[in-house]
Amino acid sequence: MSSTIALGLRSLREAARQPDALFMTMFIPIFFLVVNTGQAAEIFPSASTEFLEGQGYGAFQLPITLLLAASFGMAALFLVEEIEGGYFDKLRAMPIPRYSMVLGRLVAEGAKGIVLSSVIVLIALPFGITIASGVPGFFLIVALSALWGVVYAGFMQLIALKTRSAAATNSGGLIFFPLLFLTPNFVPREMLTRPMEIAATLNPVTYLMEALRSLILTDLDWGAILPGFAVIGGLGVIMLLLNIRMIQTYD
Amino acid sequence: MTRARGPAVRAQGLVKHYDGSDGAVEAVRGVDLEIQTGEIFGFLGPNGAGKSTTVRMLTTLLSITAGKAEVAGIDVVEDPDAVRRRIGVALQEAGLDPRQTGRELLTLHGRLFGLNQAEAEARTRELLDLVELEEAADRVTKGYSGGMQRRLDLAAALVHEPEVLFLDEPTTGLDPASRLTVWEEVRRINGHGTTVFLTTQYLEEADQLCDRLAIIDDGVIVREGTPADLKAELSARRDGTEVSLDDVFLDATGRSRDRAAGEVQEVSA
Repeated sequence: MSSTIALGLRSLREAARQPDALFMTMFIPIFFLVVNTGQAAEIFPSASTEFLEGQGYGAFQLPITLLLAASFGMAALFLVEEIEGGYFDKLRAMPIPRYSMVLGRLVAEGAKGIVLSSVIVLIALPFGITIASGVPGFFLIVALSALWGVVYAGFMQLIALKTRSAAATNSGGLIFFPLLFLTPNFVPREMLTRPMEIAATLNPVTYLMEALRSLILTDLDWGAILPGFAVIGGLGVIMLLLNIRMIQTYD
Repeated sequence: MTRARGPAVRAQGLVKHYDGSDGAVEAVRGVDLEIQTGEIFGFLGPNGAGKSTTVRMLTTLLSITAGKAEVAGIDVVEDPDAVRRRIGVALQEAGLDPRQTGRELLTLHGRLFGLNQAEAEARTRELLDLVELEEAADRVTKGYSGGMQRRLDLAAALVHEPEVLFLDEPTTGLDPASRLTVWEEVRRINGHGTTVFLTTQYLEEADQLCDRLAIIDDGVIVREGTPADLKAELSARRDGTEVSLDDVFLDATGRSRDRAAGEVQEVSA
């Protein structure tokens, strides 16, 4: 475990020394929040739109911002850079558990996710977005976002380990966009057309988004929150098993 | 850690096949090696001959298709972690983390080799002094020159005082002054009892540094011995004509001087 922590701390230093990457991770999701809210706020006025629960449309869009920011982690790109540069082999020649080489980066990604999602929520508050579930809800939002960041970074690491190519890993990041758009990202699921509703129902990201949305718009609704954590738990276990298998057989 | 008795490196019938789109590629085809503790052993060969593949198998970085290998008396397949505790590795590219400082990198390596923080920091200071990088220690390694990166890479391979040090083309791309510094370091490390396994493209480097050497070509070892013995053997075959190590290399690999140009180079430091 100590090697996982040592490598995690190294990854945090690495992220801190690439502030431009952190800036873009924040900027693009907030840009989408502003644009999406600006485009649709008139269509969905808070006074007459039941699903907004009395808040503005920005509150409905905030989960997408959080998920996007969490999905812009650089862990896999740093990993593939390390593979291409030869430092990864240096680490592989050390007597450390193989899993620590992938877990270290994921631990750091979780820590970064906590900071990023906290900052995004805090930035949103002065613009009239409130967290209806209060302080416990705030922590749950941060936990869900950060854990999603870990799971997503883990899948990206799989692409990095398999392809050992920065270009392929970068392209892999585009997978998230279809996943994000096959969700009830602009309106609740029941308002989608039937084919989109079916697609959204099959998409695990939907449950994560609905969990975050319920924490922002309503009080603690465990019926919506728990499926979000279940998705993260399920995908997280699959991601961890695949990562460990991949690193154990890496040649 | 108790040092191993017997050969520092022993390989028997080492084979590596890769599955390629055109069928299996035989990169190494039955290599036998025995390197005694305390030797500087040179491993020469043209590009693609199997040098790096052999090193990667011996350092547990690559699976072995067939055969057996022991490093520091330990089977590399049966107990790779025990092998890793006893070896230092500096691969062909100076593999450094570009966003860490030299000091952070060495301290991290110390921690990963099981030293506590104070021990790791003390060892880092010793190594920075050894490779003369104290002044650059707190700069990120991305800004280091090629020579500085090589020296830091060498220092990183020495953090845990390994029994066997694998250096894969440690001076490729270095200027003559940096090359001399690396040679001095290799001699000094070997003087402390560390066995050095060195692959190189530079024949003069092998001649200057190595107690014994092997030449690999097309995945098999075609010559093995001390530089003096190899030259004497060829000289005897050529009726006493004076020969150099590059003549030995060309004779062993069946290459002409024209064909060898750009593959193995003779350089003066």
